[in-house]
Amino acid sequence: MTPYDERTWGADMDLFLQRLFDALTNGSTYALIAVAMVLIFKATTLINFAQGEQAMLGAFIVLQLWKWGIPMWGAVVIGMVFSGILAACLERTFIRKFDPADHLPLVIITLGLFLVINAVAAIIWRFDPLSFPQLFPSGRAVTIGNARLSWYSIFAFGSCLLVLFVLQTLLTKTKIGLAFRAVSSNLESSRLCGIKIGQTLQFGWALAAAAGTLGASIYAANPVLQIEPTIMLRALIFSITAAALGGLDSLWGALIGGLTIGFVQSVVVQYIPFIPNEMTLAAAVVVLLIVLTFRPSGFLGTKTVERV
Amino acid sequence: MWVSLVLFFLLVAFAYVDVGSIAIGSNKYNLSLIRLNKAIAYSVAILGLQVVVGYTGQIALGQSFFFGTGAYISAWLVADYSWPFLLTLVIVIPSCFLIGMILGLPALRIRGLYLALLTLGLAALFPTIVKLDSLYKYTGGAGGKLTTNKITGSQYKFAPPSWLPLDEIAQALQKIPLLGGYFGDGPLSNREESRMWKFILFSLVASLCFWLISNLIKSKPGRAMRAVRDNETSAAVSGVNLAMTKTISFGIASALGGIGGMIYVAEVGIASPDDFSSLVAIYLIVGLVVGGVGTLSGAVIGGLVYALIPDWASSTQSISFVPQRWLQGPTGSLILGLLLIVLTLFMPGGISTAAKKVKNRFVTIQSRANEE
Repeated sequence: MTPYDERTWGADMDLFLQRLFDALTNGSTYALIAVAMVLIFKATTLINFAQGEQAMLGAFIVLQLWKWGIPMWGAVVIGMVFSGILAACLERTFIRKFDPADHLPLVIITLGLFLVINAVAAIIWRFDPLSFPQLFPSGRAVTIGNARLSWYSIFAFGSCLLVLFVLQTLLTKTKIGLAFRAVSSNLESSRLCGIKIGQTLQFGWALAAAAGTLGASIYAANPVLQIEPTIMLRALIFSITAAALGGLDSLWGALIGGLTIGFVQSVVVQYIPFIPNEMTLAAAVVVLLIVLTFRPSGFLGTKTVERV
Repeated sequence: MWVSLVLFFLLVAFAYVDVGSIAIGSNKYNLSLIRLNKAIAYSVAILGLQVVVGYTGQIALGQSFFFGTGAYISAWLVADYSWPFLLTLVIVIPSCFLIGMILGLPALRIRGLYLALLTLGLAALFPTIVKLDSLYKYTGGAGGKLTTNKITGSQYKFAPPSWLPLDEIAQALQKIPLLGGYFGDGPLSNREESRMWKFILFSLVASLCFWLISNLIKSKPGRAMRAVRDNETSAAVSGVNLAMTKTISFGIASALGGIGGMIYVAEVGIASPDDFSSLVAIYLIVGLVVGGVGTLSGAVIGGLVYALIPDWASSTQSISFVPQRWLQGPTGSLILGLLLIVLTLFMPGGISTAAKKVKNRFVTIQSRANEE
């Protein structure tokens, strides 16, 4: 082997590693939004199309609080609480009165929320991109060859794991978590057991919105991104695909789905020469199509059996 | 009743062919035929949604995909091969029908929410597809595709046929006492004439679509569609071919989307990627819901709402008690979103059903048997 060959092999390897690191970064942020969707789907078998926009609004509130001089992690926590309360109110006013089995009105309501939240955010903060505070230390953590893994990627992945552990504990160890699981397993029986369905679902919505806000804040804190009202439009499709891929009712599935979509977007598409770079969105939609057609329960979701 | 409606629309057309706007306070509202033509385009696309969502009950949100496909095919044929606009329908309808049927195939396995997800993804995909470098020759990339003829460099002209006495009608209307002033003065200019002719042509195309669909709904396939919507299992038991009914309704919906796209691009003169984004798909859903899901007149109302409300919202620059900031942002989008939520909560049948209810409250039909 000539030195020349060795060098290109090394460069290829660096490129591959770099793409793998990018996949980790993107995948973790998609997973965080996907977790929020999964929480709501688990509770109500509803896909909240406004989830991305709720998260975007939360991130803007975090930004505003930070501008008013609140330390950034404090701002994130207040933003999460605020968007949780907002989501609980939304659920009470708009969602609860509909029959969860009839999908069309619910889809329409969440699409309406999508438009309203997006417009309100655009009216308050305008369409100009704003820079978001850095939540994590900047710079790179690991350098292998020329491939750099930034601290941001590590912390994004770490917070994703942390969120999942917290949610897992909340759902398995607390009383309201037990109620939540009972409702998502069988609504009628849990009502007969005396569980307050409404409050439990409301709790699910608040939890989802808080997780989404954290996800959007981390997404916007990416050093290469700025925050603007349309930031979540693209991420929404990727996150939906991630959630569907992992199985719409599985929390850990959301992580796996997110990482897979990140991998497809940043690694697989880059190595297929006939797919242009901009087609990552198409790749996501194709993955979604394949999953929904052949394995609607995704990687880890529960299979549903329909009875007539 | 329909005749009077048509006459009313023609009168409106003559009244507003050259009056650009009306002013309320310090705000100017445009009422020209351009908006009405756009409304016709949206109505036809929403009619497609009525077929697939309203009558067949499949939650398909991606109508902007077919709206865009129709617009691009039509723009491409007109600009590069100097076809007349109406003739492009010969290509637009079958190709959109086929694409719709193929993309509708997954719907045989995917239903409800999952289908909503997938179709929304499809709608989000359309702008990136047309922006592809390999399609630049046909679609004009991010800049969009102009409908100006490539060889002569001129716009396609909608010239009214010489036997149509547009000028005479306009002048006759101007002579009506009191009201004559609303119809402008003097004979119509060339531009006004072609705009008027466009409006008449598009109205004819749209009426034809509405007539065909209303017949379809009343006939056997239409009943099959409604059976699929109401209960798939019992429909299958009654001998309805589920797969066939669903794919055909997807095909029809997409073809209607394509026709709407043709009308849109003929009016606007350019097909640009952002005119067919996933946001447009959602706006078309707004039109569907506001007008009334599963009603044909709802499609007309929906088209008008979509064409006029965002436009008027952006021309409202000042209302005394509302801060400026709330008027200059995407107010139209805010209003449409609020309409969507409020109507779903309080008026599930949309405007057209509500109108029917109001009418029924005042006009009651009593049978003779009771009187005797």
